[in-house]
Amino acid sequence: MGEEYDCIRYYCTAGSGMEPFLVEEVKSKLSATDVDHISGRVFFSTCAPLEHVTKLKSAERLFLLIRRDPPISLPKFAARTISKIQRSIIGDLNSWIHTLSIWSRLVEELKPVSGRGQKRKREEEDETRVNDKSLRNEETLLGQTSPTFRVNCRCSGAVMCSFTSQDFSRIIGTAIRRQLGWKVDLREPDLEVNVSINDDHCILGIPLLKCSLASRSYIKHSGLRSTVAWTMASLCSIQEGCVILDPMCGVGTVLLEAAQECSSTLFIGMDCSAAQLLKAAENVETAGLGGRVELLQSSAMEIPLPSNSVDGVICDVPFGRKFSCGTNVTVALPKLIREMERVLSVNGSLVLLLSLQLSALLKKLLSPDRCLLATDPLTNKNTSNIDSSDTHTNTCRPDTDTHSNKHSSEGDIQLSPCTLQLQSIYRVSLGNTDGLIHKYLKTMYGHTATKAHTHKDIDIQK
Amino acid sequence: MKLLTHNILTSHVKGVTKGYPLLIKATEVRVNEVEFNPQFVSRMIPKLEWSALVQAAEGLLQLGHLQDLPSSLIQDYENNEEFLRKVHRVLLEVEVIEGCLQCPESGREFPISRGVPNMLLNEDDS
Repeated sequence: MGEEYDCIRYYCTAGSGMEPFLVEEVKSKLSATDVDHISGRVFFSTCAPLEHVTKLKSAERLFLLIRRDPPISLPKFAARTISKIQRSIIGDLNSWIHTLSIWSRLVEELKPVSGRGQKRKREEEDETRVNDKSLRNEETLLGQTSPTFRVNCRCSGAVMCSFTSQDFSRIIGTAIRRQLGWKVDLREPDLEVNVSINDDHCILGIPLLKCSLASRSYIKHSGLRSTVAWTMASLCSIQEGCVILDPMCGVGTVLLEAAQECSSTLFIGMDCSAAQLLKAAENVETAGLGGRVELLQSSAMEIPLPSNSVDGVICDVPFGRKFSCGTNVTVALPKLIREMERVLSVNGSLVLLLSLQLSALLKKLLSPDRCLLATDPLTNKNTSNIDSSDTHTNTCRPDTDTHSNKHSSEGDIQLSPCTLQLQSIYRVSLGNTDGLIHKYLKTMYGHTATKAHTHKDIDIQK
Repeated sequence: MKLLTHNILTSHVKGVTKGYPLLIKATEVRVNEVEFNPQFVSRMIPKLEWSALVQAAEGLLQLGHLQDLPSSLIQDYENNEEFLRKVHRVLLEVEVIEGCLQCPESGREFPISRGVPNMLLNEDDS
């Protein structure tokens, strides 16, 4: 590579609630400038090579921006409407010609290049499929100066009173054909002109890939939406040399997304279901992450790890009324959270994806004025008595600091209410429903499980 | 199951106070080559229970899969590539495919099948 790239203006579609994460991602990974977002779309300019742009994790589809205009105002006299639409949508012909030349160059770049490394092999296979057409594009573009196209128009709002989306597609298509000399091909065009018109804007772009960026070439069995899984991992602030646990990993989507980004981290996935774990194992193997992702069959209610042993916990808490541990998840939630909190080390992050109902429940459970999960039968002491248990200290944790000894107690499991501090809540769309991502930070030693082995060197970052 | 995972696994059978380290009874062990990442290995070493790792490795040594590890962690291991490679092999390349893990106190066995330990407890265990 090593070429100089001009700054190119792109936009990506994003799931509802994902826009802020995508904004951050384009800024940090692509050093993007002029970053701006509206509901469902993020606009940005970058000079980064296209192969970096196509690796965005929180985006849906990638487009080359032709133009972004204010909404169209339709004239009162119907007779002039069509020509007005055509004039305002097509606008300056140069912007089209310019975009077309960038598009032709990018399509070239998307072609598989030999020797890009084995890691990208699968991706390349996929791209080849996408690019069969691009090869033809090139011929077309070399032979003739104009591509074939079709218009895909989505409208909403006031303009819909006069025309349907199909009407708009036709009107715009005719205008492009007449003014730019491009040829219409509805079935297999070289490129698609994507138009979105509503009361707030009029956006024109050309999609760069056939498939969504969210359909990962490295995931064989898909579970949770990959963009949301990636976002959860990115919220977990994973550092090098960490151990990260997903206690209900399912087919392992969150682990795969996280492991792609962090090369020096151990990921442990746990699930009750052997069938899910088989698929997860296949996923891990397909993605080539066998060195860093380990799977265990276990219940999330009884995690077979010592207290304070992992640096981060990420969990897509099952939404259904029943989950594989055979208990109603709303009933099990206190115990689940307590168990995750137990294995998490201080300063570790807990990132949960919850249904609206579970989110409300958890907020109630963790509200500062109530003792967390104090109704649990195992919590046999009131947490305000913590200091009175000072007499039973450090029989098995000689190396932990005084800070933790102060809070240790000999009960089976003792829980203090405030170790999980809520950092943020994000609402994201999961397709047919919305989910809430809660992020907590474990702030101090809440309890010590005296029965368990503990590591002599628990990483206490102060 | 890799020995890295074994190193943090603990038995949670009810009433057990010393559920660590689990005893490995392997019937099938495989060595898969994993890309050597010295940074990863040296970041993981401080998190390990070294004696448990040595013990686990010695158990599998009899099956002819492992080189020996020093009984105590050496100084300045970050810069000792030979040592890190050895640890890398023990931690990440050796996989217990079939067998079981035994709780040192209760004797309860947790089967390992297709490389995945089943740590689920029965009703009466938990």
